[in-house]
Amino acid sequence: MIKQLFMFVILFFLSINLQATNLKPFTANTPTPPLKLTDLQGKTHDLNDYKGKVVLVQFWATYCGPCRKEMPSMNKMIKKMGDTPFKILAVDMGETKAEVMQFVNEVKPEFSILMDESGKSIADWRVFAAPSNFIIGPAGKIRYTQFGGVEWDSDEIVNTLKALATH
Amino acid sequence: MNLKIIITICVLFIFIGSTNAKEIRAIETSDAEIDVRIFPAKGNILLLGFPCDEGRSIAEEKTALSLAEDGIEVWMPDMLSGFMLPKVRSSLADIPTDSLNSLIKEATKTGKKVYLIASGPDTELVLRGASQWEKNQKNKALAGAVLMFPRLFKEAPIPGKIPEYKEAVGKTRLPIFLLEGERTPNRWGIKSLSQALQKSGSRVKSKIIPNVRGYFFKRQDANRSEDVVTSQMAGLIKVSLFYLEESQSND
Repeated sequence: MIKQLFMFVILFFLSINLQATNLKPFTANTPTPPLKLTDLQGKTHDLNDYKGKVVLVQFWATYCGPCRKEMPSMNKMIKKMGDTPFKILAVDMGETKAEVMQFVNEVKPEFSILMDESGKSIADWRVFAAPSNFIIGPAGKIRYTQFGGVEWDSDEIVNTLKALATH
Repeated sequence: MNLKIIITICVLFIFIGSTNAKEIRAIETSDAEIDVRIFPAKGNILLLGFPCDEGRSIAEEKTALSLAEDGIEVWMPDMLSGFMLPKVRSSLADIPTDSLNSLIKEATKTGKKVYLIASGPDTELVLRGASQWEKNQKNKALAGAVLMFPRLFKEAPIPGKIPEYKEAVGKTRLPIFLLEGERTPNRWGIKSLSQALQKSGSRVKSKIIPNVRGYFFKRQDANRSEDVVTSQMAGLIKVSLFYLEESQSND
């Protein structure tokens, strides 16, 4: 009886720890929408080309306060992910290149910023607020989602993504 | 001589301005007595705004004065004070629908065409009030509603999923005009919200306002575009009413 109680307590604290990641498992049985956009340097990125890697697809905007606040933690996250096959594709939500460049010069993100001036991918991915995040597993399927600002370099998130890369 | 003329014109302007001063009328509803700021006008349109907290809606009051000058009567009921509710978002749920209807009833007694208007999360009150009004007063149709920057998500939207909206969404047949800022993620939800609002037969039109953020008219850090649009809010509302009128005449 004491053993069972002890196990329950451990499982309870373990579940709290998992929830602390803020990542919500994506349970919908829908195919991953296409994502093929150019970055600020004019290079085209196709999500299909990143199969085998864990990819963080983030929809953000320069006017979004939490987006601005969390970007430095995304830079740190890349370092903490180390050799894990990992890529960040940060899709700007319908702004102009000039607006985004001003932001980039200020915040200095060390990952790919993709432009979606028409908003097509925003519609395809059913994004209704910023920042909206999707974690794509190595097989190309959406595994987690997350809405709102977060510290991306937290141990919980980094460990979850590293574990995902090995599955 | 020229200076005298200028002074005379200025005095005249001040005098004309003072004739547009609002009147405050206490309207008895089933649950409380609500103070309504009324900006009278001779035209046949009346705009009823919710919930209009006395003292905090400075931009709205300027807009109301401007609309009244153009012949559109504006009523701004102070619902929150009427029910002694704190001026926070969660208070909206505590405003009884019956009271909204009592105010709509008073507005319709003027014989003018009554349009409802609200912004942000307050837009839920417009939808709730309109829905019950349609159930109770089948013969007295409201003319339409202007929803400015509506925030009607039931909870934070989950990326990848169609958002769930508040209970009041999609329950009215009222023609609706949506205004949304270009520089807010909510602009991407306009299509989904419009579809949800149309469920009971509402005709929904929308307009994106370039270069402004959500709640721009309440912001302390408003940029130049936002200041300009705030000063032209009355014009935006008139355009919205024009589209609503036009959609009625096309029926």
